[in-house]
Amino acid sequence: MFKKIILATTGSPASFGAARVAFDMAKRYGSEVTIFHVLGVPTKAFSQVVNDVRTGEEIEVDADYLAWVEEELKTTYAKQFAGAENAKIVLATGMPPREILREARNQDADLIVMGASSGDSAKYQRGYPGSTLQKVAKAARCPVLTVHRESASYWGGFSNILFGTDFSKQATSAFKFALNTARELDCDLTIFHALDISGKVLDQDQIEEQLIVARKRIRATYVPLMGDFKNFDIEVWEGAPYVEIVKLAREKQVDLIVMAHHAHELDAEKAKIGSTVEQVIVRANCPVVSVSKPDKV
Amino acid sequence: MSKKILIVDDDQEIRSYLSELFGDNGYETVTAEDGIVAIEVAEKETPDLITLDLEMPNEWGPRFYRKLSQNEALKRTPVIVISGLNANQYAIPKAVATLTKPFDADQLIAIVKETIG
Repeated sequence: MFKKIILATTGSPASFGAARVAFDMAKRYGSEVTIFHVLGVPTKAFSQVVNDVRTGEEIEVDADYLAWVEEELKTTYAKQFAGAENAKIVLATGMPPREILREARNQDADLIVMGASSGDSAKYQRGYPGSTLQKVAKAARCPVLTVHRESASYWGGFSNILFGTDFSKQATSAFKFALNTARELDCDLTIFHALDISGKVLDQDQIEEQLIVARKRIRATYVPLMGDFKNFDIEVWEGAPYVEIVKLAREKQVDLIVMAHHAHELDAEKAKIGSTVEQVIVRANCPVVSVSKPDKV
Repeated sequence: MSKKILIVDDDQEIRSYLSELFGDNGYETVTAEDGIVAIEVAEKETPDLITLDLEMPNEWGPRFYRKLSQNEALKRTPVIVISGLNANQYAIPKAVATLTKPFDADQLIAIVKETIG
């Protein structure tokens, strides 16, 4: 199911974790991986001079420069390229989110893999995903796998998937992706709902009643979709959802978290990345897949 | 009776080196080259401690650890992670220690002695 993977990268250390996952998936699952790098934004329409995405410097894009960038990327990922038979480098100029989406559409990619930010040390970037990820995750027709912390860059293939749900309509697409991945790769699947009690003081009987209701709702909503798939369990915890998802993933040695890109806004074109998935992306110890649209699940 | 250590690593040289190191310090050793073999060896030999690499072909370290922790007879076996990867201390949070290759042999032996005597 991961036949075509696009690794969208700046080549900076912040993307090394994502690169490790993309290359490992390519080797383990026989995927084609495209290392996609946007050189910069043209200073004028159709100009050969671009503002470099990382340094902001004006650079003239000619054959020599393209060859140099390709060589730099090969050097940066030299270890990963070794043994990766289906890996290629594609360079482009333009706005990074638009070009990444265009490449994914042109290739009919199954998955986009990227870091959560370009690695700027500013506090807001450490605590929140960057704008490129936000735009790509929102508009991509395929799921987007994000690796933020280096420790999230996983240690092998996928074997244990955590699907976090808030029972929204969008979560159904994410569930289908999680289930199909679990089936295809012979993974265990945990279906999880966190009862959001952050900032609330609730009676304990009330909390436990709601936990029972949520568990029944998971059984009614997702179990009928699973057919003969039996490698699943159900967990319902109370707390702040992103904290509980990260905790459960750590406790169960989960190697992939799958969530819907957004919950509340039904129109995907208007929706911003959900605050829970956003925080899970920057905190999780494993890759996080966000699913925005039902096209490629 | 000497304590038994299971060494799980895909690198033959590391397995040989650790076998010799533990042998010199009075421990018995068994080895496995990946997680699939390791779980079979662990079930048969019931080691007192396991040293575990993370990135291995076929079945990687955390996947093996998850199977280990689901096995009633083996789930309390202490594990020491020995890996060349960065940030490897997060891979198996319940490991008694995490060492990054190249590691200090004296430090490893000290941890093993402290853990299983």
